[in-house]
Amino acid sequence: MTIIQVILTAFVVLIAVYMYLRLRTTLFDLLLILVFAGAGVFFVIFPDTTTRIAHFVGVNRGADMIFYLAILFLLFLVLKLYARIRRLEQQFTELVRDRVETEIYKK
Amino acid sequence: MPASPQTIFVIIPCFNEASVIKDTVAGVLEKGYSVVVVDDASTDETKQLLHGFPVHYLRHRINLGQGAALQTGFDYAIRKGAAFLITFDADGQHFSGDIARMVETMEEKSVDIVFGSRFLEGSDSSVPPGRKWLLKTARYVNYFFSGILLSDAHNGFRCLSRKAAEKIRLRENRMAHASEILIQVAKLKLTYAEYPVKIHYTAYSMGKGQGNRHGLRILFELILYKLFR
Repeated sequence: MTIIQVILTAFVVLIAVYMYLRLRTTLFDLLLILVFAGAGVFFVIFPDTTTRIAHFVGVNRGADMIFYLAILFLLFLVLKLYARIRRLEQQFTELVRDRVETEIYKK
Repeated sequence: MPASPQTIFVIIPCFNEASVIKDTVAGVLEKGYSVVVVDDASTDETKQLLHGFPVHYLRHRINLGQGAALQTGFDYAIRKGAAFLITFDADGQHFSGDIARMVETMEEKSVDIVFGSRFLEGSDSSVPPGRKWLLKTARYVNYFFSGILLSDAHNGFRCLSRKAAEKIRLRENRMAHASEILIQVAKLKLTYAEYPVKIHYTAYSMGKGQGNRHGLRILFELILYKLFR
């Protein structure tokens, strides 16, 4: 195993443990975490498998394919987060509006 | 039938305009209109300065932006029985004398909303050249987003009927609200007209006004507005 494989594996395992400790809700969550972490570790240890998948979809290197997918995924996350920020801002606005300080000055 | 001045609510959003707010408010009160000042969490002495003026003073506890301040003013004026709602800038660039003619225009043409314009004939506003091209571009940007082509893209002076104000709901808290109003007017199928208003450019209002940088930001906000409903 190369150094980068050790680092990446350690990270994936750490993130999986962290998520499990944070979420620790249903069996389904645990299963999901295990599947994703397992796939991550698998591809790190056997990088040639991603290359084979990459060739299948028409990309030269497995790393490139992962890179493209990661960009798409991150873009999706940014949009989701932005939508959530807007929703929060609207709720926040309503809150400030409900608590508006009103004074009617007379002549 | 001319409207009673008290049912005309002039909504003045302001944020740190202490040096001019008194004159602006006094000018509007002179004509007998109801004045709603929406203080968007100013950190200056705006509040103390308005003591003694017969106005409705609303204050956001946290700064939200001009669009949010206008919506707060709309909600309030509707609750207080407004028949007409005027949006009016705090910095003294509008003339309170134009308000009556905006309302008249609305009644004559029986439209839901009247937009003030610097570029219609008879407006008598000397728009600084640097600002002209920006506003010309913005006009078409608004047209692209809303399908409404006004002669003036970004004028803070408007007159809304009660019906229009009840229907419009501004969700753009910051400066993109001016375009958002157009988008909603189109979507809600409200009728509109323009009226040539005088704009008094002062060093103060120019300093406070929006430059090209703001234009880009508004464009960005508009794109996001369209993306997220």
